[in-house]
Amino acid sequence: MRDALYLAWRYLVYHRFKTAILITSITLIVFLPVGLRVLVSQSADQLTTRAEATPLIIGARGSPLELVLNSLYFESDVPALMKYAEVTRVHTTELALAIPLYVRFRARGYPIVGTTLEYFEFREIRIAEGSKLTTLGDCVLGARVAVELGIGPGESVISSPENVFDFAGVYPLKMRVVGVLEFSDSPDDHAIFVDLKTAWVIEGAGHGHQDLDQREAAAAVLSRDSANIVANAALVQYNEITPDNIESFHFHGDLGDFNITAIVAIPPDQRSEALLRGRYESADDVSQIVPPVTVMDELLETILTVQSYVIVAVVVVGLSTLATAALVFILSLRLRRREIETMLRIGGSRASIGWIVVSEIVVVLSTSVVLAMGLTFITSRFGSAAIRALIL
Amino acid sequence: MISRLVLMAAVVVQAVSCTSRDSRSVPAGREVEATPTVYVVNYPLKYFAERVGGQRVLVEFPAPPDIDPAFWMPDAAALAGFQGADLIIANGADYAKWLDKVTLPESRLIFTTDAFEDQLIQLDGAMTHTHGPTGEHSHAGTAFTTWLDATLAARQAEAIREAFTAEWPKYVEEFQRGFDQLESDLLALDSAIGRIATNHSGMPLLASHPVYQYLARRYGLNLRSVQWEPDEEPTPAMWRDLRGVLRDHAAEWMLWEDTPLVETTRQLRELGVESVVFDQCGNTPLQGDYLSVMHDNVVRLGAVFGRGD
Repeated sequence: MRDALYLAWRYLVYHRFKTAILITSITLIVFLPVGLRVLVSQSADQLTTRAEATPLIIGARGSPLELVLNSLYFESDVPALMKYAEVTRVHTTELALAIPLYVRFRARGYPIVGTTLEYFEFREIRIAEGSKLTTLGDCVLGARVAVELGIGPGESVISSPENVFDFAGVYPLKMRVVGVLEFSDSPDDHAIFVDLKTAWVIEGAGHGHQDLDQREAAAAVLSRDSANIVANAALVQYNEITPDNIESFHFHGDLGDFNITAIVAIPPDQRSEALLRGRYESADDVSQIVPPVTVMDELLETILTVQSYVIVAVVVVGLSTLATAALVFILSLRLRRREIETMLRIGGSRASIGWIVVSEIVVVLSTSVVLAMGLTFITSRFGSAAIRALIL
Repeated sequence: MISRLVLMAAVVVQAVSCTSRDSRSVPAGREVEATPTVYVVNYPLKYFAERVGGQRVLVEFPAPPDIDPAFWMPDAAALAGFQGADLIIANGADYAKWLDKVTLPESRLIFTTDAFEDQLIQLDGAMTHTHGPTGEHSHAGTAFTTWLDATLAARQAEAIREAFTAEWPKYVEEFQRGFDQLESDLLALDSAIGRIATNHSGMPLLASHPVYQYLARRYGLNLRSVQWEPDEEPTPAMWRDLRGVLRDHAAEWMLWEDTPLVETTRQLRELGVESVVFDQCGNTPLQGDYLSVMHDNVVRLGAVFGRGD
């Protein structure tokens, strides 16, 4: 037995190129469906875990998937906007804690999340460095944002215009970084958090400017009567909120009419959750309420369907590869006819020769399986980090 | 189909990139303190909250004693206190505009005038202006010294009771008892002011500052305001404007938030106008409390209407 193994081993080493090709192809064919399954399984866990941690999301009627992806992962297109008055509506029901989200703007490619202090309590994320949001114009960076931009408390980050060709639009706002969040290995690491009111300033719903009654602003005044002053574009509007000009910042109109993208609703119990969902049952309601876990389950079903097609394809390719490998072994036996005859003539039994050939096949297959297991382990351990480094 | 697949791929990548530690749970409850802390934005609210809450709550009002809390901007330490409070009691009616400029836990912020928003007085004469993409807009405001109408003060106290009861339901009876006593005192104050103001609704009065709108409306006072400060000498232009006002509003008394300068009092007297202090009590009084300050106001107002007779 040991002799057969030794001879098989020597044969494989001698034909190392052919052996390497065989092992590589079999390894990949074993690894691909298993590795894909591991990756999809990890993705599914991530998706459902964050979705399960978020009981309900309320948003304007439209695509529930867009609403959930924007609210949970701060990705996808901006969903239809809703009014802040909806937050008051939820509070009034006393059925849930309502946390508003306004995820529309970006700064240096990272999403700006306008919200309230309750969001940080809800997600249980704490400040690692600096302080939490305190005044208008403050921002707190997610851990990855701070590392990737290389900035921290005391420095600043500027919001990006929604449209670079909109010269008459809202000025970018220079936001003061007051804190960095603890690393949470979640989408919160990749976001910049501001107070909801700061997001409204970025939008242009609130602003600060020179006092039109002061002499310095005279050049910007186009007309003035007892009831109205008209100023032109020369009026200095502040693009940074400082202790010196914060007094001049103000909002026009009813805050209830201001925009948000979603509300995270947190009912204290299942009864309250059911009652709250009942309040949004009417088809005439301009808002919708969705359990994120249901939306993500539907998405996962689609992903799993696609995954099963991929696995079928991989299995078919795998079978053909194995057939090719079998062919390689058979052809190899034909090529080795003289070698086998020589072994018979020098006294080798047919059984011993059979053992040698079987040992060669077993060594190739087991090496491939071991390598595939190693690759699967690496995928499960470092797959997310590798994808993050290569793609994100 | 392609865009959907791209979207799904993006989601997978995003999800893979995050090893979440989230779990489905309501946020961890705030630490239960032995005595819950309530922060307020002015002194009347502190008084009401202390009367309603009794020993069950610790009421904090961190504004310095020498400023008007309506125009105060809390420093970092005070803001940290507000952010860490179990409950924040605000006045509403646009009082304390700093609330729009800071980050506070919205779910713990109570506006005591929300229940009677329709009774708030919108200020006239605010100028509108136009610039930028937002179009014409106004910096108009709302009169905010709601607590000078004792009936509105009682409704603010009721809002505090409701907030306390919702937050700490096990003390509902104590809160109700505290509120009942406070409401009784406030209604007695309302009756006292009403009694002395009765039959004097036509009597012209001046106010050194436009802060008595709710007092005037509730008790039918014929009040016109100027913009004078008790610790500043009026300019010649201000005296000229006052003479203009007096020509069609022959007031014999001017209400002041605080004791005016002696020279101002003398010059007013030469114009036939006596000065009387009606303390709006927005900040902590040096002596007494909200109720005693208001009763002192009532006594001084009695002198005004006594002379008016």
